[in-house]
Amino acid sequence: MSLVDSPPAGPPVSSARATARLLGSELRLVFGRVRNIVLLVGLAAVPLLIGTVLFVTQDTPVAGQGPPFLDRVTGNGVFLVFAALVSCLPFLLPLCVSIVSGDAVAGEASAGTLRYLLVVPVPRTRLLLVKAVAALAYAAAAVTAIAGVGLVAGAAFFGVGDVVLLSGDTIPLAEGMLRTLGVVGYVVASLTGLVAVGLFLSTLTEVPVAAMAATVVVAIVSGVLDALPQLSAIHPALLTHHWLDFGEFLRLEVDASTLFAGLAVQAAWVAVFGALAWSRFTTADVSS
Amino acid sequence: MDTTRSLSPRARWAVPAVVAGAVAAAFAVPATMGAVASDELPAVTADELVERLAVAEKVPVSGTVVYTARLGLPDVTVSEIQGAGPLDLLGGSSTVRVWSDGEDSSRAALLGEVSEYSVVRDGPEAWTYSSADDEAVHYVVDPADLERYEALAQEGAEPPVDGDVPTPSEAAGLALAYARTTTDVTTTEPVEVAGRAAYQLEMRPQTDGTLVDRVLVAVDAETSVPLRTQVWSVQDAESPAIEVGFTDVSFDAPDLSVFDFSAPAGADVREVEVPLPEPGTLEQPSSDALGKDAGVAVSGTGWETVVELSDVDVDEILGATSEGRLPEGSTGSSGADDLFEELTESEDGELPGLPELDTQALYEQLTTEVDGGRLLTSALLSVLVTDDGRVLAGAVPPATLEELAG
Repeated sequence: MSLVDSPPAGPPVSSARATARLLGSELRLVFGRVRNIVLLVGLAAVPLLIGTVLFVTQDTPVAGQGPPFLDRVTGNGVFLVFAALVSCLPFLLPLCVSIVSGDAVAGEASAGTLRYLLVVPVPRTRLLLVKAVAALAYAAAAVTAIAGVGLVAGAAFFGVGDVVLLSGDTIPLAEGMLRTLGVVGYVVASLTGLVAVGLFLSTLTEVPVAAMAATVVVAIVSGVLDALPQLSAIHPALLTHHWLDFGEFLRLEVDASTLFAGLAVQAAWVAVFGALAWSRFTTADVSS
Repeated sequence: MDTTRSLSPRARWAVPAVVAGAVAAAFAVPATMGAVASDELPAVTADELVERLAVAEKVPVSGTVVYTARLGLPDVTVSEIQGAGPLDLLGGSSTVRVWSDGEDSSRAALLGEVSEYSVVRDGPEAWTYSSADDEAVHYVVDPADLERYEALAQEGAEPPVDGDVPTPSEAAGLALAYARTTTDVTTTEPVEVAGRAAYQLEMRPQTDGTLVDRVLVAVDAETSVPLRTQVWSVQDAESPAIEVGFTDVSFDAPDLSVFDFSAPAGADVREVEVPLPEPGTLEQPSSDALGKDAGVAVSGTGWETVVELSDVDVDEILGATSEGRLPEGSTGSSGADDLFEELTESEDGELPGLPELDTQALYEQLTTEVDGGRLLTSALLSVLVTDDGRVLAGAVPPATLEELAG
């Protein structure tokens, strides 16, 4: 007890402060990098693009054709959020998350800044956690950008109103907004497994592009395997299998067990690849 | 803060292995646990169980049903493009959420990835709604028949719906109807379905002349609600050809607002008035739809029943679909109707993005050329279309049909 209490303003506080400072600088690094900002803007442009196309074509025979939710957008701008998310989930979102998480450690290593970073009085475990939090914050920002721009553009182009669920029942706009928040939260949570994979691959190499590409490949291969009916036995464990389960928020009764199944799979990927990244990062010799 | 530093590098690499093991265990254990004490159930005979099913008080049921078909049909499902619909039931696994108040209101929702197909029944009216094409169909009992419906409702009649979604109870009812004829009915060891202890009825056709090997119906020990129905084909001893069962079930009364459906704003609504079938008549495909002079003949009994339609103009039906819609009911099966409808549906005759479906090609893909006609085989049903315009169908081996066709 005395051991814990006696140094009140000693190492724990300074260590916490050091961690906070590290997180701050890491966030600045991630969100300040021009490449990452361009990616965010690009993602945010997707709902704008879809909205404009739908607005221009809404009175032509091609209106109402296309991926899920697209035909609902002209009736209710809220659906632009879902249509944009469905469009971005298979490739654009994983790509952006892979670029940031794959760059996290390998980028510093290739720039020669990693060994200076390790001089900071923060243990490597915590450094890795800071990197993970920053990459996840970027993923959350990416999803929020799509949803936010989607909502604003949808409201501006088509107006918003009561939300018709997949079951055909109608709920008030306020509840629809709550469910939209749920969708955004679930999509962000769906990306945590990929962040962990990217972080691990990033600790393996000093070439950031290799880590980024490998992470994208993991997401795409997972999607390909998910499309093969012969492999249905392993589908539930695949990284991307539950990504579209966010549709659960648009059913009559939101079934928590369906959502929980998806989150549990993400937690499993985070646990395994987080542990792998930790083992690698805390044992690696850093020379550059 | 540096306890981790005391670990040797080798010990550190053991951590992910331990984590992976723990994760695998966390996912595997719940699947094997939760064995309900189904072997402690008092024994019942088959007759008692059938009787219990017949007199069971209807109770509210809600839950999740998984339907799996392994019929050996070529894969024609289009749910990836079209969203959830009754077509999904031709093959693969589908998840259905069901609600029933135990009386005359029920709801079933066939879940697609980000789509849903709902069938809502509330007394004399019923709705189907497909999220993919935003179309609602409203079925009401013909006003002339409404009085008769009220009387029948006491016995559990409900308006028929095209493209219905199966539930374990309906499947079990169908099997029991068969059970009265030429079938050995026994019970198996109690089983566990959706975490509940259940008795299981086994129905075996006495004849070898059918594709059906056996039908298993699992009945909840407490409420006598059918929880799972399996139909096994003689061709596959490993897994049932059709299985429909609860994976999760609750007997609490569902919120009544679930049954209160009205078409959402902006949806296409089709109104359909359905006459009640005259008492005592079998449902038969209307003969006009099959071409002039089509006749229906039934041969064989029980499990070996073969239905023969004569003077069917196959080319005309296939031609009709490429021009537009197939006449309702013309295939004799709502599933096949929907297949044609879904695949040929277009607005204003234009179908951008989707290739025009060649019904002739689909027909040729589903069927194989045999002597004197074309044959569709599946694990439970054979259909033979002869060159002289007859269609024979039954749960019998293809050879039986060819023999009958002569």
